[in-house]
Amino acid sequence: MSADDIKLIGIAIVLAPLVGAALAGLFGAYLGRKGSHWVTILGVAIAFGLSAVLFKAIVFDGAETFNGPVYTWLATEGIRFEVGFLIDRLTVMMMVVVTFVSLMVHIYTIGYMHDDPGYTRFFSYISLFTFSMLMLVMANNFMQLFFGWEAVGLVSYLLIGFWYKRPTAIYANLKAFLVNRVGDFGFLLGIAAVLMVFGSLDYATVFERAPAVVGQYFTILEGHEWEVLTVICLLLFVGAMGKSAQVPLHVWLPDSMEGPTPISALIHAATMVTAGIFMVARMSPLFELSETALSTVLVIGATTAFFMGLLGLVQNDIKRVIAYSTLSQLGYMTVALGVSAYAAGIFHLMTHAFFKALLFLGAGSVIVALHHEQDMRKMGGLYRYMPVTWITFLIGNLALIGTPGFAGFYSKDSIIEAVAESHIWGAGYAYLAVVAGVFVTALYSFRLYFLVFHGKERMDEHTRAHLHETPPVITVPLILLAIPSVVIGALYVGDMVFGNWFGSAIVVAEAHDVLGELAREFHGPLAMATHALSTLPFWLAVAGVATAWFLYLKRPDIPDRLARRLAWLYRLLTEKYYFDRFNEVVFAGGARAIGDFLWRLGDRLLIDGLVVNGSAKLVGFSAAVLRHLQTGYLYHYAFAMILGLLALLGYFVLWTPQG
Amino acid sequence: MGIEKIIFYVFAALSVYGALMVITVRNPVKAALYLVFTFFASAGVWILLEAEFLAIVLVLVYVGAVMVLFLFVVMMLDINLAQLRAGFVRYLPVGVAVAVAFAVMLIMLVGGDWFGGFAPPPPSPAEVSNTRELGRLLYTVYVYPFEIAAVILLVAIVAAIALTLRRRSGVKYQTPGQQIAVRRQDRIRMIDMPSEERK
Amino acid sequence: MTFELSDLLTLLPETVLLGITCAILIADLFIPQRSRMVTYLMVQTALVVTLLLLLTSFAGERQVILSGTFVRDTVGDVLKIAVLLAAFVTFLYARDYLRARNMFRGEYYVLGLFGVLGMMILISAHSLLTIYLGLELLSLSMYAMVVLQRDSSLASEAAMKYFVLGAIASGMLLYGMSLLYGVTGSLDLAAIAEALQAGRAPGVILSFGLVFILIGVGFKLGAVPFHMWIPDVYHGAPTAVTLYIGGAPKIAAFAMLLRLLVEGMPGLHEHWQAILVVLAVLSMALGNVLAIAQTNIKRMFAYSTISHVGFLILGVLTGTDSGVASSLFYTLTYVLMAVAGFGMILFLSRQGFEADELDDYKGLNQRSPWYAALMLVIMFSMAGVPPFLGFWAKLVVLEQVVAAGMTWLAVVGVVFSIIGAFYYLRIVKLMYFDAPEDTSPLNPNVEMRMALSLNSLAILYLGVFPGGLLALCQSAILP
Repeated sequence: MSADDIKLIGIAIVLAPLVGAALAGLFGAYLGRKGSHWVTILGVAIAFGLSAVLFKAIVFDGAETFNGPVYTWLATEGIRFEVGFLIDRLTVMMMVVVTFVSLMVHIYTIGYMHDDPGYTRFFSYISLFTFSMLMLVMANNFMQLFFGWEAVGLVSYLLIGFWYKRPTAIYANLKAFLVNRVGDFGFLLGIAAVLMVFGSLDYATVFERAPAVVGQYFTILEGHEWEVLTVICLLLFVGAMGKSAQVPLHVWLPDSMEGPTPISALIHAATMVTAGIFMVARMSPLFELSETALSTVLVIGATTAFFMGLLGLVQNDIKRVIAYSTLSQLGYMTVALGVSAYAAGIFHLMTHAFFKALLFLGAGSVIVALHHEQDMRKMGGLYRYMPVTWITFLIGNLALIGTPGFAGFYSKDSIIEAVAESHIWGAGYAYLAVVAGVFVTALYSFRLYFLVFHGKERMDEHTRAHLHETPPVITVPLILLAIPSVVIGALYVGDMVFGNWFGSAIVVAEAHDVLGELAREFHGPLAMATHALSTLPFWLAVAGVATAWFLYLKRPDIPDRLARRLAWLYRLLTEKYYFDRFNEVVFAGGARAIGDFLWRLGDRLLIDGLVVNGSAKLVGFSAAVLRHLQTGYLYHYAFAMILGLLALLGYFVLWTPQG
Repeated sequence: MGIEKIIFYVFAALSVYGALMVITVRNPVKAALYLVFTFFASAGVWILLEAEFLAIVLVLVYVGAVMVLFLFVVMMLDINLAQLRAGFVRYLPVGVAVAVAFAVMLIMLVGGDWFGGFAPPPPSPAEVSNTRELGRLLYTVYVYPFEIAAVILLVAIVAAIALTLRRRSGVKYQTPGQQIAVRRQDRIRMIDMPSEERK
Repeated sequence: MTFELSDLLTLLPETVLLGITCAILIADLFIPQRSRMVTYLMVQTALVVTLLLLLTSFAGERQVILSGTFVRDTVGDVLKIAVLLAAFVTFLYARDYLRARNMFRGEYYVLGLFGVLGMMILISAHSLLTIYLGLELLSLSMYAMVVLQRDSSLASEAAMKYFVLGAIASGMLLYGMSLLYGVTGSLDLAAIAEALQAGRAPGVILSFGLVFILIGVGFKLGAVPFHMWIPDVYHGAPTAVTLYIGGAPKIAAFAMLLRLLVEGMPGLHEHWQAILVVLAVLSMALGNVLAIAQTNIKRMFAYSTISHVGFLILGVLTGTDSGVASSLFYTLTYVLMAVAGFGMILFLSRQGFEADELDDYKGLNQRSPWYAALMLVIMFSMAGVPPFLGFWAKLVVLEQVVAAGMTWLAVVGVVFSIIGAFYYLRIVKLMYFDAPEDTSPLNPNVEMRMALSLNSLAILYLGVFPGGLLALCQSAILP
């Protein structure tokens, strides 16, 4: 396939969802519900089909990596602002994952949002999201990356607040918006630093020039020198922390569950939140040059992986448990990035996208069946009523906790092995965190599973009477997602993680190449699975499942007793380590206090009083005076012209020296 | 000072005088007549420049046609002189001030000193036909501007007709075409009536 | 003097347009009033044919023909194409309006076409003579068009003022040209430029002539203090004519600046720059401030035009190629926006209702959200809000002004733009936050709906992707 073909297909992939979104958004009223969902599903299906074509071309047929501009938006002072595509193996993998999950979610939405008045609006948004996400992953320059970054953020904001009449939804989307602002601020500074240091926004140019700036320093404060690359990487990572919800910028993700469930699956589990991971992997040529940055990434990822998992133990809202699980898994991916196991991180991103979307959609199926009840304390014993949801959910859970053979096992185990292999600063702490995290993951996952599908039926009579399996538009996507959740790991672990599958898309320095070390001990997926039976993480996972079984099926009274006995710990967890409280008091409160002060002094007195109203009065006054010049008398007009002539002539006679 | 210069100054002075009178006399008919006078004086100057054809055209077209038409219009309109004069005194000081300032600047800037750049063209021999030369230039070098000028005249005609031609309802027109084409049967109807008995 | 047949080929678009116009003039006499659509279709065909002729020979080699009176170059082609497109859209928008006012007659269109011809002549002028003749052809058509609605006293008054003032301005222009001819000895712009460059002409007369010429140009553009006719004419003329006057002729006026000053008198740059600075600042100031005090939207647009003209002059006065290119970009942008803006007035008007008061726009959002959104696009673009096209236009012009070392002038431009934003945003406020006073349904024809939507969306589209148009403008000016 020639470069031109790839470019054309790339354009079609991006535009198909955009057209769908525009049609559904602008003409939703004319198209109706059916029309809107068909047009958007068609758009995304085209994008998925063409992505698959590109995947085949790049991965199997060995087509060249495409890197080139599509449209030059603006060229100024030697810097070109372009829309361009970089289509290599990393990109096509992301494209396939994004469009596939998006397609599933589109279909699923037909059932989930069936009775919602904002039906067409919803379809328009999720198609717009797909467009934005594709722009993000296909970018070949920082500007387009930033565009996609902000666009997915915008759609996320719109969708969290989709039910805009609920105060909690508005609160949640405001929170997501503000927290992401912090991350984006760092990100933007990072991009600015890139532009300043490298004089270009093009990936290829920047990566090419990067080794040359090793050892250069910024002096930001007098006497303090900062290594240029470290500063850039850390700033970019701040952006990733916001988007991928790493501690301490994670607080928005659990609240984002206020949005409709398909969104939680698509945006807040499978795709958008992984944008940070993707971005860091894409920037691997930069991060590899700064060990400080890598260690920071590692420690933050490890902290997120373990501590956010713990919080999942005390939640009662089914979606929030999965949300904390997402946070924890994002932590795992970040850890992988920190130890330079980018391929493992991306691989986990892919498997996670499938099984986490599956879990969310399964949870959504339960929620629909129970008439939008999300409290797990009012569920139980559902396996009798909803066999498809039950089985697929179990598959998702097994993949999540890393049962050997399932997709999650290969990706997660690779990460844990990679951490064990790494020697950079913080690796020891990270290893502890990720291994302990395995137990926690198994515990909260199966707590959720047992509470929802087994045990006593705790819903009220009316609900129970109407319980039945959800319609095919919901169950078919579940089944379609369950398949990759099982098989994709075994199929691709050899190539993607250990086989240098990504080629030049990911750069790893010789000294950090932990996956290269591991590859020597890798003897195929089957051997990896059997070997795992004798390792610590596997038994920790088994212990987690057993504990869950004991606590929530066998002796359901124990958890309450524990909560009372360890009240301080329980409180610490239910208060989410007091992050929210801290933010509310210090940042929000402090900002309000400063704002209030400035408003009194600056806004009301100086700006409103003097500048705004003052200048408005001045303009209004002069307009009132000047309009009398336009008298309407012809001879006045003619006279004005003569005066103008006279003035200009006078200017020449009196002021301009003449030869 | 040659005789030519004397003639020039005479004609120039006459035309300036005429122009001044055009804008100062009270009666618009007189003003129009002074304009005719000015044209005549200008034509005289042009003849001195050997532009005989232009001079004659000026007299024929402007004096003979345009100004006569103009006079008709002025005479047909009922112009209230008092009203025209109403603002004159009030605006006179300003007008005079501006005019003086303007004149001063003109004198400062424009004078004989500045226009010495070109030698005057050699006088053409007597047998050269002014008219033919003009015509040759118009239809060769200046054919494009000439055609545009023709279009402008066409637009002027169209505009004038568009703005003045109107059919009012309720007004009776004679239509010569219909009058000529009239046939007997349009006007009279022959009726065959049986004679009646006298009572 | 050589006259070659190939010259006629170069002149083909103008010739064909003239021919078809004359044919329409005659044909129209035989078309009964009820099938006046035929005239309309013929007129649009004339424009399209001319456009196609231009496009087939677009951006060829620069040719100066007919004894140096006519020039065909890329920038001229770009401007002519813009004029034809603007006229096409204008006639389309105007149709229903004219029909509702019993003005749907051949005269509007024939005069309009003659005006277009005048603009094309002006754009291609390479001699003082053709500049003047093109200008007169255009002006004469416009004088007559203003007063087409003969029974409207407002229109007659406006036309009278326009005509008298226009005559004065023409006289001054002609006087200036004669002085220029007197000292350089040529009407040919290239010869004049050469004579000025060589310093063969005395400076005093030149600057004296320059002032008069600039007054003529300033009047055409509507720059302060030669702007007085604009509000009265815009207001007094039927909206369909205002649309015509407010659109394409601005392109011709830009061409006049370009030909006369940039091509004809580069040697006097220092002088005309000084004058243009004064005109630009005055225009931006007076235009923006006075627009605020208006209650009639046509008058408001008139003052807004004056302020935009100030901006347009800014680019030209730098005298650099990229400065002129930025002005060209501004001109095209402005015409696109102005046509859309007046089109919106026509869209809302109907039999016996002009929709030219600001209050008529109250609550437009409730009556038609789509057209309110389009108007929003137009207003935001005129105000220079990113990402609409108007923003880029202002940006590139200011960029060039700063590059020419006149940062203070750029600051003045920005300040008055901000003041100007007020009256554009006021319309947005009226549309979205006030209750409608008039609730009759909007039902113009489908073509108009589509054209207006496309027109406004083009503003948005080009605002997001300005690269192409910008590159076109730059390549048209830069050699």
